[in-house]
Amino acid sequence: MVKIISAITVHLLALILLLYWFGKPAQTAQEDFGFEPILTKFTGELEANVTLRVLENDTAIKQGFFEELLQAFNEEYAEYGIVAVDANMDQYLDLENDGPYGFGPDVLYQANDQIMKYTDGQHIQPLPIRELNCYPYLDENAWQAYTGTDGQIYGIPVNIQAPVLYYRKDLLPANWETEWDKNNNGIPDMIENWTDMYAYSMQIREESLGSRYGYMKSLWDVYFASGYLFSYGGYVFGDNGNDAQDIGFAAGESYKGLHVLRQLASIMNEDCIDDTITKIQYAKLASGEFFASMTTPDVYTLYINELVLSYQAEGLSAGEAMEAAYENLITAPVPYLPASGDLTDQNSETIPTIMMGGVNGYAISAYTKAPNAALAFADFATSYEMIKRRHELLGIVPARMDNASDAGGLTDIVNANLSEGNIYIMPSIRAVAQIWTPVGTLFADVVKDPFRSLAEQKFISDEQLIEGLLRASTQVYDAIWTLQ
Amino acid sequence: MLEAIKKGGIQVALSALFMGLGQLCQRQVGKGLTYLFLHISALWFFLRYGAVMLRGFITLGERRANPTLNIEGDNSVVMLIMGLFAIIVLIGYLLLYAANIKDAYNTQTLIAAGKKPLRFSAELKSLADKNFYRSALFLPILGVCVFSVIPIVFMILVAFTDFGGNTVPPELVSWTGMDSFFRILTLQQFAPTFFMILNWNVIWAVCATALNYFGGLGLALLLNKKCVKGKLIWRAFPILAFAIPGFINLLAFKFMFSYGGPLNQMIINAGYSPIGFLDLDAKWMARIIGLLINAWLAIPSSMLLAAGILSNMSKDFSEAAKIDGASAFQIFRAITLPFVLFATVPVLISQFIMNFNNFGIFFFLRGGLYIDGYFLASDTDLLINWLYNLTIDNNYYSIGAAVSVVIFIITSIISLTVYVLSPSYRQEDQFK
Repeated sequence: MVKIISAITVHLLALILLLYWFGKPAQTAQEDFGFEPILTKFTGELEANVTLRVLENDTAIKQGFFEELLQAFNEEYAEYGIVAVDANMDQYLDLENDGPYGFGPDVLYQANDQIMKYTDGQHIQPLPIRELNCYPYLDENAWQAYTGTDGQIYGIPVNIQAPVLYYRKDLLPANWETEWDKNNNGIPDMIENWTDMYAYSMQIREESLGSRYGYMKSLWDVYFASGYLFSYGGYVFGDNGNDAQDIGFAAGESYKGLHVLRQLASIMNEDCIDDTITKIQYAKLASGEFFASMTTPDVYTLYINELVLSYQAEGLSAGEAMEAAYENLITAPVPYLPASGDLTDQNSETIPTIMMGGVNGYAISAYTKAPNAALAFADFATSYEMIKRRHELLGIVPARMDNASDAGGLTDIVNANLSEGNIYIMPSIRAVAQIWTPVGTLFADVVKDPFRSLAEQKFISDEQLIEGLLRASTQVYDAIWTLQ
Repeated sequence: MLEAIKKGGIQVALSALFMGLGQLCQRQVGKGLTYLFLHISALWFFLRYGAVMLRGFITLGERRANPTLNIEGDNSVVMLIMGLFAIIVLIGYLLLYAANIKDAYNTQTLIAAGKKPLRFSAELKSLADKNFYRSALFLPILGVCVFSVIPIVFMILVAFTDFGGNTVPPELVSWTGMDSFFRILTLQQFAPTFFMILNWNVIWAVCATALNYFGGLGLALLLNKKCVKGKLIWRAFPILAFAIPGFINLLAFKFMFSYGGPLNQMIINAGYSPIGFLDLDAKWMARIIGLLINAWLAIPSSMLLAAGILSNMSKDFSEAAKIDGASAFQIFRAITLPFVLFATVPVLISQFIMNFNNFGIFFFLRGGLYIDGYFLASDTDLLINWLYNLTIDNNYYSIGAAVSVVIFIITSIISLTVYVLSPSYRQEDQFK
């Protein structure tokens, strides 16, 4: 018995010792994470005979732009054996889980908040932007969208995403030039300021006995509705969107923006509480039931297609319908707001509406084996010619000022809005993912208020609006910090 | 094993020291070499990989990666999984070690009794005959360990770490003990929401299971009646709802109940104001709509189950009861229901668990709302929806895992209690 117990003890002790000895790490010292060596990845020497996997957005693929881009790049860099191909992945990429195992793309095109969330784990590469040909043509605010908390720049801006107003010119009142153009500048007042848009929408609704509407939009949508708060001093996070401890939805006089939302709901119907309008806005604007709506510039062709069908149904030929659609569908900058925050106050000073926006662009995965070739691709894709072609095919608003200036019109105006700070670039830190549900719920609650009985209304006074904003801010704070 | 330790001789001691030595000394060359080979293989695995895996399991990483600097580091999550794998291999090794000692002792006993131990080839043959269950079960058990045990244990282990939030690879994860569980119960915002949702979750699971079960049974009884014409067609209709993927049905229902949906259009056309069937004020209305939609989706399967069982029920009992003057309800309560219940309690329990963890209904019908008084949840969310909000939306994996463990404990207790108290368990022979 003693022999066996001794043998078992020796066996197990030997096993434990071996496990302990061979389990010791070869090296445990922490590396210095200084940032100086990062840019040394970009030596300027192209890696030869490599294949770059590029992740583009679905619209660019569907409209054929991406194929053109790949073809042009591959021809240009054929002598180095560099081939760019479609990464053939879902555009809702998960680089932090796919990249380390070699499944991610080398170059990715996404919105700034999507790209910048990867900076925490160093999944994307800081870039030597001064070496890029687009560098001098991009506004500081556009670069700011890709500037990390460490001061490094992680993406190359391509296009600006910001809401614009869509309206039907042929649905303007016949006498608008005499009755709805107080400043005689040739732009209808309802397109210039929300006060007149409110009045005109009310008029349309009353005259049509509720069968037609003026401005219509799903008002719970945080992306489009939070701009009303920003216009009166609200913000998402402090320190240029980098300090998630400082939640600013209730800052300044943002309650006035919430009041504007409540008033806008009163000229609509209950469809504004959920996403019904978002789904039907193209068809309803085309049928003339809506006069105006707001969305991003890249859906212009969806409106045109619906309008063409509508005009054809009214008896116009295909060519006439197309011509009429392009003539009557107008995109315009978002109207100005009354400083008082009251859409019935015709005498108030007006202030620009600051809308939430984003900047889509290219970034390079930190896991790429060919950083210099990847940088060459990003440089090529952001050249003047390629951005021009992207604008022509996709209708994007280029972030490059030379492209924007040449394109003119709304493109130039949106760029100017970005430079003037009238576009609030969506924060690029990971915590931004926590704002949508709490703030969206508050907006849905506020815009439902006009449809509640008087006894059940929750947001009548400024104090109640402020309380709602504070509550939503607390929920955002809790979502970010409670369990950190 | 104890007997082997107490009474074993030198051969057993040799096998205890190094697997297979005792067998070799007892002239069991084939078996001895096999044990020796397995011992050396296990040692090679542990020295080459296992030791590092086990250390990684304990530390969860000591070196942070930085891909932008091409610095490779430790991935805590991978280390946790691989450590778990090494532990399973270690347990397997220890079981093999014990079997080796026992085998050496059995051989020693046989030789001492003057008997001849089985040849190795004969023992191998027995794996296809007397011990066939061992060879047949080996692969399934291995499969269960890899595909079932490891993921479940991994999920449970995550509850004891700080994985989630900002602590995701390449950041290093640490063990935090029971911290996640204490947080669920003690955090000011967390505990009230947990108990409010748990309360609604239990009500939901009981009501949904009862509604689906009795709805299905009622429909089956109805379609079992001789007077019903065109039974095949009537049976086909509910199955259509069952055949269409659930989430498509749910999205269709969401549209139907939305402000722009057909129901509200009819209400508006009738001259009334639209109703927010599922909006943020619609607490109980949304809950009842959820129950009814769930019944629409689940009753067909209950109906099919009940119809199958009813077709096996002898009509003698009910006819005898009829002759004795029993009413239709008395026959149902005293004969039909116990018969169906006896056969379906295990299914009923599984339906209860499925309803308790019914993620899709309120995710598709009423997702994206945080209601006042609830912490990152709405008043229709079930624990599983809250779990999703906490983990996927907010990346709190460790808290999510802790909530999963709590859900598992609750459903296990309820299921076991119901099963033990049910006629299926207590009166097993009654309907045989």
